[in-house]
Order: sequence, then structure tokens, then C-alpha cells
Amino acid sequence: MSRRGDDLQRDEIPPGTLYLLILRTLARSGEMHGYEIANSIQRISDHVLQVEEGSLYPALQRMLIKGWVTAKWGTTTGNRRARYYQLTTAGRKQLAVEMSQFERVIGAITRVIEAV
Amino acid sequence: MNWLREVARRLRMLMHRRQFDADLEEEMQLHLELRQQEHLESGMTADSARAAARRRFGNVTALRETSHMAWGWEWFEHLALDIRHGLRMLRKSPGFTLVAVLTLALGIGANTAIFSVVNGILLRPLPYHAPNRLTVVWEKNSDGTRDNVGYATYLDWKAQNHSFEQLALYASWQPVLQVGEPEQLNGLRVTSNYFRTLGIHPELGHDFLPEEDNPASLRVVILSHSLWGRKFNSDPNIVGKSIAMNATSYIVAGVLSASYESLMNQDPRGGSVEIWRVLGYDVSQPWACRTCHHLVAIGRVRDGVDFAQAKAEMDNISAALMRAYPKEYSAAGVILTPLGEQLLGQASTTLYILLGAVSFVLLVACANLANLLLARSTNREREVAVRSVLGAGRGRIARQLLAENCVLALLGAAVGLIPAYWTPRVLATLGTGDLPRLDAVRLDWRVLVFTASAALLTGIATGLAPVLRLSKIDFQESLKEGSRGSAGGAGRRLRGLLVVSEVALSLTLLVGAGLLLRSLSRLLTVSPGFDASHVLTMRTSVLGQRYSDNTILRQFFADAVERLRTLPGVESAAAASQIPLGGNIDQYGFHAEGKINANPELDESAERYCITPGFLTTLRIPLLRGRDIVLSDTADAPGVILINETTARRIWPGEDPLGKRVKLGGLDHPWLTVIGLVGDIHHVGLDAAPDMQVYIPHAQWPFPDSDMTFVLRTLGPPTAHASAARRTIHSLDATQLFSRVMPLDAYVVLSVQGRRFALVLIGAFATIALLLSVVGVYGVTAYGVAQRTREIGIRRALGAQPSAVLGLLLRQGLLLILAGTVLGVAASVALTRFLASMLFEVTPTDPMTFALVVALLSGAAILACWIPARRAMRVDPMVALRYE
Repeated sequence: MSRRGDDLQRDEIPPGTLYLLILRTLARSGEMHGYEIANSIQRISDHVLQVEEGSLYPALQRMLIKGWVTAKWGTTTGNRRARYYQLTTAGRKQLAVEMSQFERVIGAITRVIEAV
Repeated sequence: MNWLREVARRLRMLMHRRQFDADLEEEMQLHLELRQQEHLESGMTADSARAAARRRFGNVTALRETSHMAWGWEWFEHLALDIRHGLRMLRKSPGFTLVAVLTLALGIGANTAIFSVVNGILLRPLPYHAPNRLTVVWEKNSDGTRDNVGYATYLDWKAQNHSFEQLALYASWQPVLQVGEPEQLNGLRVTSNYFRTLGIHPELGHDFLPEEDNPASLRVVILSHSLWGRKFNSDPNIVGKSIAMNATSYIVAGVLSASYESLMNQDPRGGSVEIWRVLGYDVSQPWACRTCHHLVAIGRVRDGVDFAQAKAEMDNISAALMRAYPKEYSAAGVILTPLGEQLLGQASTTLYILLGAVSFVLLVACANLANLLLARSTNREREVAVRSVLGAGRGRIARQLLAENCVLALLGAAVGLIPAYWTPRVLATLGTGDLPRLDAVRLDWRVLVFTASAALLTGIATGLAPVLRLSKIDFQESLKEGSRGSAGGAGRRLRGLLVVSEVALSLTLLVGAGLLLRSLSRLLTVSPGFDASHVLTMRTSVLGQRYSDNTILRQFFADAVERLRTLPGVESAAAASQIPLGGNIDQYGFHAEGKINANPELDESAERYCITPGFLTTLRIPLLRGRDIVLSDTADAPGVILINETTARRIWPGEDPLGKRVKLGGLDHPWLTVIGLVGDIHHVGLDAAPDMQVYIPHAQWPFPDSDMTFVLRTLGPPTAHASAARRTIHSLDATQLFSRVMPLDAYVVLSVQGRRFALVLIGAFATIALLLSVVGVYGVTAYGVAQRTREIGIRRALGAQPSAVLGLLLRQGLLLILAGTVLGVAASVALTRFLASMLFEVTPTDPMTFALVVALLSGAAILACWIPARRAMRVDPMVALRYE
């Protein structure tokens, strides 16, 4: 998928980490709707991590099926109806699993790169 | 448990999937709008803000679809779509739908009906605890046949064996219940452990106690649930109450649950067993002897013991008994018949044959429908081609066509269920012979599962032909204007194959039906040895203490016969302990003077008819030599006996039997002199060779029967005299109760009912198959002719003789019929031997039947070819040339 680099250099997020990012974001801030999640990920990553914003939604549906998050309708500050997602206990457990997995992989990659 | 909750979430989504989709739509829309807003605020124009928001979001449609599919229901939604499409297609061609649904309804409906019978009778487990450990234990005769057991033998078996957890006895019993309108019941006398052997506990009250099972104790009975409801208004306090039966009183010990069905029934025409009383035997009683074979033993083998081990042990016990009492047994050893086989074995042969036959009907229906679908698929080539070009994968198209067929098959099944629902009623009207458990035949879940699976299999099987064909089509070609079907050659071959198999299957069914028909017609020409027309029969059993006096008992029957004989319209009348084809077995040892074996148990035995004078005349059984039994053969006169030809031939070959002396049923009985020789009669059935038969005077026999059947030869229709006969006997004793008041020829009809049942069903299946295959042959020929209309026109225009063109058109059809016939004959030769047990004086490969059936089927099929061919010939060649 080609995209025009309209502003900063942006990197695609590594495959498989979208769940981790969503879980971590929700864990930090409690309730959020999709737009807020997308914005939050970009802001915190200093606009380095580029999420194709729409792909949040299939991911959120799968997380709903797995029971990691629940959703309920609420109103935004701008008084619009929005679906807010919240982490469940199963979601917190999953976050821990994903974190340790991520760290293991990153650690391994780092070791390979830094090996002389 | 986690996956369970996940399934629940997925299901919730399925239920509310419109809401789910709307929610998703809304939140995506919100996202886009918020992003657009942000861009606007950063100074973009409205258009570019919207474009940028969309760019960052990605492909909305694809994402929406991915989100939707994440829930895993797309297969379901496709299926729903396919079904809706299928229904729409069927609605568009109502003629085709009607023919297809009716064909399937015939095939599936007939299969459902027969399966419901098989299910009710054979597949449902027997209503006992662990029924596969129950077995009937028989004594063995010297000729290897099985025999009932005597009470003394049973006691030894019971005391000595280690293989059986329980060993019980039963014997039939027909008491008259004197509650409300008196009624003769079908009952059993059983040992006290009978229900414990079967693993049944009364629902109300208690089981028989061992101390109740002796001649001195109270007379206790257990009632069936139906009798309790019918006669006692389901009285919850019935236990312990006394009821009047056989002019004495009995105490109700318990009531069985409604789910209990009694299958132990020695008389298949007597209805189901509704009452049980304890046997109450004592080894000192004369009828408890070792040679008194009138009880049936039923045993439950212990856990860990198999039937072979049990039989080995029982054989040893029996051999030891034979050594101890050499004159009381004819052979050592026992025969075990597992209860399931005993109760259902005979029915299972017939039923499995019927199930096989009816599955042929379904196959013929499938072939016919497949043919129809093939013809239709030619017209649908263009539709399929368009869908394919528009991007539908071949798999998707195939799935859609199959779904359409399954819809069709399910519709057919639904229609077929309607006649299947009436199966029990049809069977009752038709009469099924001795099939047990018919009251349990109904449409239960097992039958519905069978029907649904049969329908889906049919849908897929019939749908495969057109799917295969369409998958070979070159769609580019099909889309061209005015092109004809492109896969014509392959389609024709497939259609030909289907017709060949239809013809072959129908032929096999017709041969089966033909063989059964010839058997039955042969059987009905067998003379029973008596004249069954214009004879009324009515059974009665005298009740009450006063009849325990033999003189009074004999006098009652003598008086009754005398009064019946003088009724207007009655030619002659008599009474007998049994009547031919009545289903009774009453055999006595036949000990001829000078020919008695060292072990009298090895002497031949004969059917015993205890009669009043006039029996031979009334039934028109020919008296060949000597004299008949007359009124002067009284208890004080010398003992006399009549024998049939078979007895004379077997016992006194080449000698004159008249004047010879014989003892009946034991050496302690008085000598009887043979005074007459009579013709053989068929006692067991028209298909069984007559056995030895003897007739003794009721006035003379030391134990006069109390259960007798009156026979009246009438001038008019026999049943017209029934009420006069009843009144006559009631004038002697108003408490008399009658059962089976019916003409004697009804017994003849009943005796062949089982055969007629199989014949009617297989005949019906064969007729359906014949009609379907004739339609199939017609269809193929008509289609072939229609395709060749232009060719016919050219040939005719060029001067071809009509007969030559006709021959050309007929050739294909005739070849198919020939191939089908050859195949069908081969299949019949291979299959009809399974019918052998149901045939009578006809071999399974009877050439006459085969020839007639081949002539019938090929005649009908050739006619089906000829009609469309002939019609094509009548078309004007000019019209034919322009046809397209």
C-alpha cells in the first residue's frame, strides 16, 4: 500500500503488535473510543508509529470476541455518540502475556543486532 | 469454560447482527468525521480534509467486511443467501418444482415410513434393564428343536447353575376380569422373580415376593399401566385392593409404569399382556412334572459371563439330569436364544428386506430427479455463465446449486412426512401379521434425523450431476447469442446412465414383487384340509367353581352345542379345544401299543383336538375310514380316538390303523382305540406341512378343556348368526364371555397376512419405481427428439422413409432399456435369494416371474420411447427445418 509522505517519516507498526498497543493504551487510560485510541498511539509514539486507522476496528472486534475488551455506548465531550472500549480482567492477563512475549522478541533481536 | 463464553458472544452477534453492523458503521463514521474536523481546523479545505481522513482510515468497505467476518458467520450468511436464492429459482419454475417435489416426496416419504417401522420395532432398545444380557433358555428335543421347560427341571436348573443372576418362568394366562363389563384379558403367570429378572420395578405397590409364589398363598396380581387406567380409573389406592377375576378374588400387588411394554406373549393374536399373577407352582403338583413342557424360562446372565459359557454350564446340568431321569428327557442340552432375537428376529428379516426395497425407490427417484435437473441445467447455462463472468468462483456456484437442490430435497421430505405420519394407521388397516411393537411406530427424533439426512444426501447426490456438467462448460461459448448447450455429449451419456440404472432398479423390485405374488397365489391354492367358508367361530372359557366338576363342564358344552345346532340357519355346530390356523400349539405324546420307546419321551407327538360330536361335519374334514365320534362316546364308554392320515402313515406304515390302541400324553393314561381315519388339515399354516393330528371326545377325556371354541356352519354369512349364538349360550349361563367371534375364513386370511403385508408394500414400491422409470425413459427420449428436430426435418426432406427415421429415434431409447434390463436381471439373480425365506413353492430365480417382469417393464418402457418419437414424425418437415 503506497502512501504519500505528507509530513513526518512514519513507520508501519510491526505485525502482531496492534493488540499489544491497543491493550496497553486502554490499560493506561481506562475508557476510550476508536478515534481516541488511534490518536493516543500516535501521540505517545511521537507520531512515529503509523496505524492505518481503520484497521483498529477489525482488531477491536476480534478483541471483543476474545473477551479482552468490552464496549458500551457513551457521549463524547463534543456531545456525539461513541462506542467506548474498556479492558476486562481477561484483557489485563492478555496484556501481560503480550508484553512478556514482546520483550522476549525485542530482547532477542537486540542481542542479535548487538552481537559483535 | 472460556470457549463457551466466546461461543455465547458469537451467537449474540448472530442474533443481533444488524445492530452490530450499524454500531460498527456509526463508530467508523464518527472516526472519519472527527479526523476530518481536525484537518479542517488545521486549515485544509473541506474536500481535501475529507480525502485526507479517508486516506488515513483505509478502505472502509474492506475494513467493515473484515470486522464483520471476524465473528465467523459468513458461511452461515452465504447459506442463508443461497437458500433464499434457491427458493426464488424454484418459485420461478413452479412446474419443475412440483414434479421434483412430488418425486422426492414419494421416495423420501416411503423411506421415512419404512424407517419409522424399523426404528419403532428393531432399533429402539427393549424396555428392560440391560436387555442384551437376557436370554430365553429352552430344553432341547432329540431332533434338535427347542422346547418349553417343565417346572421340576426349572427348579434343578435354578439351584445348580452359577451363570445366571436370575432365572424366571412365564406361561400364558387368560383370566376373565369381572370388573364392569366382564372382559377376557391377556395375561401371564410368572415366577416371583420375573420382574427382577427383566430389571423392572412396579411404579406403584410392590413386586411379587418369593413367599407369595406357592399354591397356598394369596392370589396376587400386578397390573399394566393401561389396564389400571382402563378398568380402575387410575385409582391411586388400588394396591392391596381385591378384584374379581375368574369368579374368585385376587389382591393387587402393584402397577407397572406406562413405559413398560410386554413383549413376552405366546399368542400374537391375543393383544398385549395386561396382567400378571404369580405362577404358584409346587413340585408335588402333577403339572409341575419334568415332561410338562409348558413354561418358558428366561434368564439374566451374570456380569462377566457370556452366553457361550452360560450354555456350556447349562448343557452340563442338563446332561446330568438326563442321566438321573433317563425316561423324562429326550435329549441332553439346552438352547439359548438371546431375548432380542427371540422377540424380534423374525420381524427383522422382513423389515430389513422392506428397507432395502424402499431404498431402491429412493434411488430411482434420485435418478429421475437428476435427469430432470440435467435437462434444466442446459437452460441455466447462460445464467451460470453470467454469474461466473461477474466474478463468482466455481466453488461458490457449485455450492449455490447444491444448496438449491438441498432446499428442493427438504421440501420433498417435508411433503413426504405427511403420508409417513399416517404409517401406523395404514399398517393397522393393512394388517401386518405377527409384527410386534407396532404401537411404538411413530415419527420420533430418530426418524426425523433419518429423513433430514436422507433429504440432504438426496439433494447433494442429485445435484452433483448438473454441477459436474456445468463445471465443464466453456462460459465464453455459452454467452454467445443463440449458442446451444456446449456439454451435450457428456450430458447425454450421464442421462443415459441414469435411465439404465432406473430401469435396472425397477426391474429388481418388480421381480421381488412378482416372486412374492406368485408365492401368495400358490399358497392360496393350497387346500387347508377343511372348508373355511360359512363357519362362525366363537371362543369361550367357562368360569366359576361349579365347573370344577367334570360332569357339569361336559354337560354345559354338550347342551350348548345341542342348542346351537337347532338355531335357524345353522346347519351343524360343535365345540373344540382349538381350531386350525388359530395359533395354538397343543401337542401330546402319542404312545402306540407295541411301539412305545424305552424312553417314552422319544415317542412322536400329535396335535390334540378335544371335540364334541359334529366337529368333522361342521369343518367338512373328510372321514376316510371307520366312524366319527358320536354322542354315545361318553365317559363310561370305551375310550376312542380319531387319527389323521399323517399319523397313520408315520406310526403304522402299511398297516390298518383301525382298532389299534394308543395312550395320549403319558403312559399313566387309559388306552384309546382308533375308530376312524380322517384327512390332514393345516394346523400351523398353509405353508407348513400337516403334522400328526388326533381327535378325542370332550365327553371322554379325563381332563375336559374349559377353554373351547364353538364352530357353527351357517347357511348365510356366518357373522349374521353371532348374536343369536350368544343369546343361546347366555340362556344356559348368563356369565359366559366370548372372544374372537369371527368367521373361520378370517383365520385363513390372518395366517397369510404377514406375506400379504410384504407383498403389498414391495408391490407398491415396485409400482412407484416402474412409473418413475417410465417417466425417466420418456423424458430422455423426448429430450433427444426435441434436440434433433432439425435433423429429422432434413432427413425427411431428403426423402428418408418415416420408418427409418422412427427407428433412428427409437434406437437410443431401446439400447438404454436393453442395458437396464440386462443389468436388472443380473441384480435380481444376485438379490432375490434374500427373499428365499418369504417364498413358497417358487424358486428365487423363477424363470416365469423373470420373463413376465421383463416383458412388462420393457413393454412399458418401449411405449414411453415410442410416444415422443411418433409425435416427432408427425411434424411437417418444413416446420421442423425452421425449428429453433
